[in-house]
Amino acid sequence: MIASLWRSSLRYLWSHPWLFGLSVVGVAMGVAMVVSIDLANVSAQEAFELSAETVTGRATHQVRGAGDGLDEAVYRQLRIDHGVRPAAPVVEGYATVPDAGRTFQVLGIDPIAEGPFRAYASQDAGIELDVFMARGQTALIAEPVAEALSRAPGDTLQVRVGGRDRALIIAGLLAADDERSRQALESVMVVDISTAQELFEMRGRLSRVDLIVETDAERDRIEGLLPESARLDRSEARTETVEQMTRAFELNLQALSLLALVVGMFLIYNTMTFSVIQRRPLIGRLRALGVTRREIWRLILGEALLIGALGTVVGLALGLVLAQGLVVLVTQTINDLYYVLTVRELTIDAWTLTKGALLGLGATLLATVWPAREATNAPASTVLQRSAAETSTREAAPRLALGGVFLGLLGGGLLLIPGDSIALSYAALFLLIIGFSLLIPLVITGMATGLRPVMDRLFGLIGRMAARGVVTTLSRTAVAIAALVVAVAATVGVGIMIDSFRGTVEVWLEGQLQADVYVQPPSLVFRQADATLDAGVVATFRAAEGVRDAHTVRSVHVETNHGRSELVAIEFGPSTEDAYRIKEGDASVWDRLGSEPVVIVSEPYAYRHDVEVGDTIEIQTDEGRAPFEVGAVYFDYASDLGVITIGRPVYNQYFEDDAVSGLALYTAEGQPVEGLVERLRRQVPDGQEVIIRSNQGLREASLEVFDRTFTVTVVLRLLAVLVAFVGVLSALMALQLERSRELAVLRANGMTPRQLWQYVTSQTGVMGLMAGVLAVPLGLILATVLVYVINRRSFGWTLQFNVTPEILLQAVGLALVAALLAGLYPSYKMAQANPADALREE
Amino acid sequence: MGYRSLWILLGLALALGVAWVLWPTEPTPIEGRVSPAEALSGDAEGFLRADGPRELSFPEDHGPHPGYRTEWWYYTGNVETAEGRRFGYQFTIFRNQLTPPDTAAAEEARTSDWATNQLFLAHLAVGDVENEQHYGAERFSRGAAGLAGAQSPPFRVWLEDWTMAAVDGADATPMRLTAHDDDFGLDLTVDPLKPKVLHGDRGYDPKGADPGNASYYVTFSRMATEGTLTINGEAFDVTGESWMDHEWSTSALMEGQVGWDWFSVQLDNGYDLMYYELREEDGSRSPYTSGTVVDPEGNTVSLAEGDGVLEVLDRWTSPHTGGTYPVRWRLQIPKADLDLEITSVFPDQEMNVSTSYYEGAIDVAGQHAGVEVQGRGFVEMTGYAEDAGQPRF
Repeated sequence: MIASLWRSSLRYLWSHPWLFGLSVVGVAMGVAMVVSIDLANVSAQEAFELSAETVTGRATHQVRGAGDGLDEAVYRQLRIDHGVRPAAPVVEGYATVPDAGRTFQVLGIDPIAEGPFRAYASQDAGIELDVFMARGQTALIAEPVAEALSRAPGDTLQVRVGGRDRALIIAGLLAADDERSRQALESVMVVDISTAQELFEMRGRLSRVDLIVETDAERDRIEGLLPESARLDRSEARTETVEQMTRAFELNLQALSLLALVVGMFLIYNTMTFSVIQRRPLIGRLRALGVTRREIWRLILGEALLIGALGTVVGLALGLVLAQGLVVLVTQTINDLYYVLTVRELTIDAWTLTKGALLGLGATLLATVWPAREATNAPASTVLQRSAAETSTREAAPRLALGGVFLGLLGGGLLLIPGDSIALSYAALFLLIIGFSLLIPLVITGMATGLRPVMDRLFGLIGRMAARGVVTTLSRTAVAIAALVVAVAATVGVGIMIDSFRGTVEVWLEGQLQADVYVQPPSLVFRQADATLDAGVVATFRAAEGVRDAHTVRSVHVETNHGRSELVAIEFGPSTEDAYRIKEGDASVWDRLGSEPVVIVSEPYAYRHDVEVGDTIEIQTDEGRAPFEVGAVYFDYASDLGVITIGRPVYNQYFEDDAVSGLALYTAEGQPVEGLVERLRRQVPDGQEVIIRSNQGLREASLEVFDRTFTVTVVLRLLAVLVAFVGVLSALMALQLERSRELAVLRANGMTPRQLWQYVTSQTGVMGLMAGVLAVPLGLILATVLVYVINRRSFGWTLQFNVTPEILLQAVGLALVAALLAGLYPSYKMAQANPADALREE
Repeated sequence: MGYRSLWILLGLALALGVAWVLWPTEPTPIEGRVSPAEALSGDAEGFLRADGPRELSFPEDHGPHPGYRTEWWYYTGNVETAEGRRFGYQFTIFRNQLTPPDTAAAEEARTSDWATNQLFLAHLAVGDVENEQHYGAERFSRGAAGLAGAQSPPFRVWLEDWTMAAVDGADATPMRLTAHDDDFGLDLTVDPLKPKVLHGDRGYDPKGADPGNASYYVTFSRMATEGTLTINGEAFDVTGESWMDHEWSTSALMEGQVGWDWFSVQLDNGYDLMYYELREEDGSRSPYTSGTVVDPEGNTVSLAEGDGVLEVLDRWTSPHTGGTYPVRWRLQIPKADLDLEITSVFPDQEMNVSTSYYEGAIDVAGQHAGVEVQGRGFVEMTGYAEDAGQPRF
């Protein structure tokens, strides 16, 4: 008996290949998006962790200095005077190898001190000191890298650091002992510490001193030995801080991918509801024949599981393919915004795949519970009547709407809970979406009533029938429309969010870029000035003809009581005050910035660290740990990590550093900017490549990077559109195909194929229109939450809400076109079919 | 078996599979080896050579001689506590120049304080005669960035906190030796009891037929020694006598020479003796045997090829390296009227660091000009242990 039930089930699915197939596609796409984003994130994390582990080695603690490095005398003091062993000096940075087209993490070490820390970079690993150390300007690279570059030991490798070209000799090849090490070493270039100091112009300074500290007592002793300007940190604390930088970014991607799964759930729900409703007579008969509710329940769930399983398998495979592309985009964004990261390969994480499979199957089962209950709960007699279902849905509409309002309020309430939990915000967002979709049956009933006269005027009787039909088959149309609304609204919400962000940044850039020409060395992370300008360049340009005024910017990373942060020292130019838009605090801060220990902080900094005007930030300086008063909070969209800005004169009092990271120039009266840029380009002294851009050029470059960092989001949005499209197609097509019998009756009663065509397309059109229109308010709600709550909680900045009509029209258009397309095949099929055959079916 | 149990089994298997895949594993450390660029390693070409006698001038020549490939400052000594508990010690710092000085032009272009072609290594050993325990340690450092170096005047040779330095800046002597490893260490003051000895011809000491296969070799053959030895936290106040060698060269061993046996002896009649033989690959003795006899006033007699006869009386096989070392000898030097029996104070004084060799305290007894004499000293033997290969120094 059970076996024959299953066979009937399979045959049913088999005889509706479109429906079956599109449901599988729906699940597959949802799963694929979740899995691919997760894989991309995990790969980026894994690559980061691996590179961190590679350069950290077995060090438990690190000694770092204030600002740009640590005086190398600290190493001598620790190791020689105080016998702190093991200890290893490190100078690190990044170098691009143009031939390889990528960036390597350069690890400058003393191979003699390395043994306890990074065995692969130590004397014991087989480093030949007479070449590696004594010759200098040498490097070790991984065997596969050398192979890919067709280089052998003794060959020259061109590298580029901060715009300067250097030639290194390959002193040997790093051969990994296992697969993980192979991956790790492929992104590393090991050089002697002397070479590293020369590459990164860090004479007399180290990036850090690595230590292995076993006990708290030893740690306390070492802390006591350090000079004011140095501090001891756990190695992991460093890694964690860096990892935290991208957490919000990754979480948001994850949430967006989940949105696709929610849309996928609607599709499954739609399919299962449809299949249950269509088989009501069959189920009724089976029940009458003595099949128990339990067996029916199992049957429906079994079908769902089959769809879920197939969809999941396809989705996992699709996700793997998609992830290959997404990981590139995710890496690019991390490189533009946060830190240098090379992801050489996708990490196929078992947990991600398991999660994807569980989500796929779980979502399918969850979406099936309701239709399965529907099928099993009805008493045997009424199950036979189709109209019962429709009546009950119509009756249920107000109840559903009430539930929707409740969920909506719950979601709104969650958003009002103060705090900065991004996960909670997304939970609220999903509640709002589900709440809104529960309103849809009631709303479309009303809309259909309102549309009837309009349709009547436009298409006559057929139009009226089409509008009415939406309501008479509410149990199916409502779900289809809801799926469509959610999918389209998601694209609207994300679209508005991106537009708002871009608009805000554009306005901000307009104010921020007050000078006429900007000069900076090439930097590996666009939003961070990690290289310095040669002193010669600065002097030459300041004195260049046509330059009226100039001011410099210096950017370093410092330790504060809120952790590591970017510190920007600015020289005051003629329009510095105009470049900063103060959010909190007043203009008097400008006078104080030049002479007092006062800093201003960016809005994301204030948000992240809960800092207000008047608070004190302690910064590790070369003079020791010093307190700085927060004089103002300013709007800034360059870094979501936050920036502390200080006056250069004050900076110079606290830091022994006269380097410059960037230079802003003002043209003399009547000088064309482009002319000056051209002249400056000809005056660049040999040795360093510098980027000289006009105000306009920098603005464009910044926006270009902005757009690039949103590529992942845009791609996700497009994928959501695709899922929405498949959803509409499957939902509406199923709906119309299911009505074959009704349409055949109409045909038999004299409706022409042309009229039938009109009837079907106008009905799907009406549904598309309804969905498009309903997607607008939901889209706006989503956008509001994304812009004002989620972005703020994730990144800490205030965005200007910016809605363009195009986005809204696009949404309505998308829904309408998808709906009309969905009507094509069924109406074509019905028009072709012999009404008599259609009537005989079933 | 019903369907239900089948499901349970399947579920269990699945759960186990998932758990197995997800079980957190401790990541293994990143490991790798370096396949070196052998083609880049240079030979002796370009280094300065010890190719003839030259006038050495002090205190400058107590300091380093960059340009020569190898240089060492070598202290060995026999000391004892007031109660007569006896120890031997060795403290050596080697300077190794990794590339010839003609690459100096390239070096000058370098700005980093860490840039150097000087590699320093140091060996420290203490032999506890009573317990027949030999403690050894080794350290490396680049000769730059203040980590290791050599200078004179004032005389100072150091590798991190292991130092040999003039006690008073103005004179090279007396010298203070300070070096501590985890388990043992020393802090000794050594003061010459005789003038310095320049071996061979004014310090020029040939080691082979090729000109340039030689070294410059300066010695303090007898130094009063006083200070503290530390073993496993226990400090011993000691006094005794030390020997110091300072030698620099570019290529001391000829093709086919595998090692040497070297003796330093202080006799109770005031005479000191240095004697060494170089050994060929086939175990035979190289003709380039050399030595110096120092009388109580510091006058020297150089020994040449054929002046000494060294006969091995007993051997010992190292449990650490499997190398078989002579540990008892008869040394006859008719030219100086010396006939001595030499014995290792205890057999296991093998130094096992990045290379293996034997550096041991010895007892000496015999006849000098027909008179019974006794003495103490040190023996150094290289090239006996299988894995020793060519010593780096």
